[in-house]
Amino acid sequence: MRHPLRFLLLPAATLALAAFQTGCAARPPASDKAAVAEYNQTNDPLEPTNRVFYAINEGLDTVILKPAAIAYKDVVPKPVRTHAHNVLANLSTPVTLANDILEAKPRRAGDSFMRLLVNTTVGLGGVFDVATGWGWPAHDADGGITLALWGLPNGPYLFLPVLGPSSPRNAGGLVADIGMDPLTWIGRGDVVSALDWSRYGLTALDTRAGLLDSLDKIKAQALDPYATVRSLYQQHRQYQIQQVRSDDRATVPAWFLQPSRP
Amino acid sequence: MLKRRALLSFAALLPPLAVASRARAQEASQQQLAAATSFIAATAKEFTTVLNGAGAGAQRQSQLQAIVDRNVDVPGIAKFCLGRFWRVASPTQQQAYLDLFHRVLMESITGKVGEYKGVAIAVGKAAPREGAIDVPTTINRPGNPPSNVDWLVSGAGGGFKIIDVIVEGTSMRLTQRSDYYSYLSRNNDDVGALINALKQQAARQG
Repeated sequence: MRHPLRFLLLPAATLALAAFQTGCAARPPASDKAAVAEYNQTNDPLEPTNRVFYAINEGLDTVILKPAAIAYKDVVPKPVRTHAHNVLANLSTPVTLANDILEAKPRRAGDSFMRLLVNTTVGLGGVFDVATGWGWPAHDADGGITLALWGLPNGPYLFLPVLGPSSPRNAGGLVADIGMDPLTWIGRGDVVSALDWSRYGLTALDTRAGLLDSLDKIKAQALDPYATVRSLYQQHRQYQIQQVRSDDRATVPAWFLQPSRP
Repeated sequence: MLKRRALLSFAALLPPLAVASRARAQEASQQQLAAATSFIAATAKEFTTVLNGAGAGAQRQSQLQAIVDRNVDVPGIAKFCLGRFWRVASPTQQQAYLDLFHRVLMESITGKVGEYKGVAIAVGKAAPREGAIDVPTTINRPGNPPSNVDWLVSGAGGGFKIIDVIVEGTSMRLTQRSDYYSYLSRNNDDVGALINALKQQAARQG
């Protein structure tokens, strides 16, 4: 794969393997039922290793990403940031659409298709998010959610270097998403490569800038930020999956006889 | 013979009775759901009035505190967050913990006041959940995408109280509990250490 993120895959795989071989959290004795229930619910048998990666990521964030995000927020005016965000969202809509289809959710796929169509044309290449106002709001769909709907087990909590909180299922979904992205396969050469890199860099900045306040707050309020991030991430993923699963809107046109609701 | 007929007629009476009682139970819970919805709507209105009002900083904070104390089951949430360690704690520790929890929670709520300027809350349809009532709301802030916030309301012991806030699927009390549990497991399950950490946190905030 000629993908800019391919350099991440090998080290990530090596580290994950090393993680399995070294640090495993001590399982509480079976007699302590409450502790065992908690251990199972937390679903973090690799906690010692995950914490190491969490600390590394924290260091990288403090030195590189957070200052960059603060600078981005200070230097670039808000309307420009909003439009940049819209463009990035539009670029990722093909992957969302592919996942909507793989999740067998026609109405969501229709929403994504119309978003891509309207925002790319009327929205001038995604600069303006016209589709939301026209009744096609954005929604979440990614490879991790798709695999969950297909019944794949989540596996243990993973904290990946650079990428952050994940799980085997979500990491697999991420690889699938990169493979599904048309932009992964279109064009070659230095210019395309530079554009790809700019997209990833800008996505990182955009995401981090959006999280500045909430992450600061989480870190200030949590006694153990690692555990709080873990809990928030796991609950939020569960919620996203539930949102997709429960979206059973009918595909009958509005002017046609509607099926009775159960 | 007579006995059997009596039994039979009694049995024949049973299903309608069951249906009637089930209907009554449903009706009651429907009423409860409606009451919980209007409770959240009223609380939301109180909040937005204070947040979007013209009051000064300190005055607004005390108004907010009063609303929280009246409508949120703070001690109940505190006990939930300490979970199985509540029973392990001594009465002195329990009291110290409750006080600190209240203080830290208030700080984190009133510290967010600035963010919620111009907030509008739309209340949805309530549904039973985990032995309580879930009232979904959509919170709109200018310049932000709308966010789904669910309020878990318990009617046990008279009036309604909020026992959890679920923001985009993340439960505040579950998150808080996993934070405390993790801290405790890294500090030999010592509730005293947790109380000290909370003291430091409260001092930092206020």
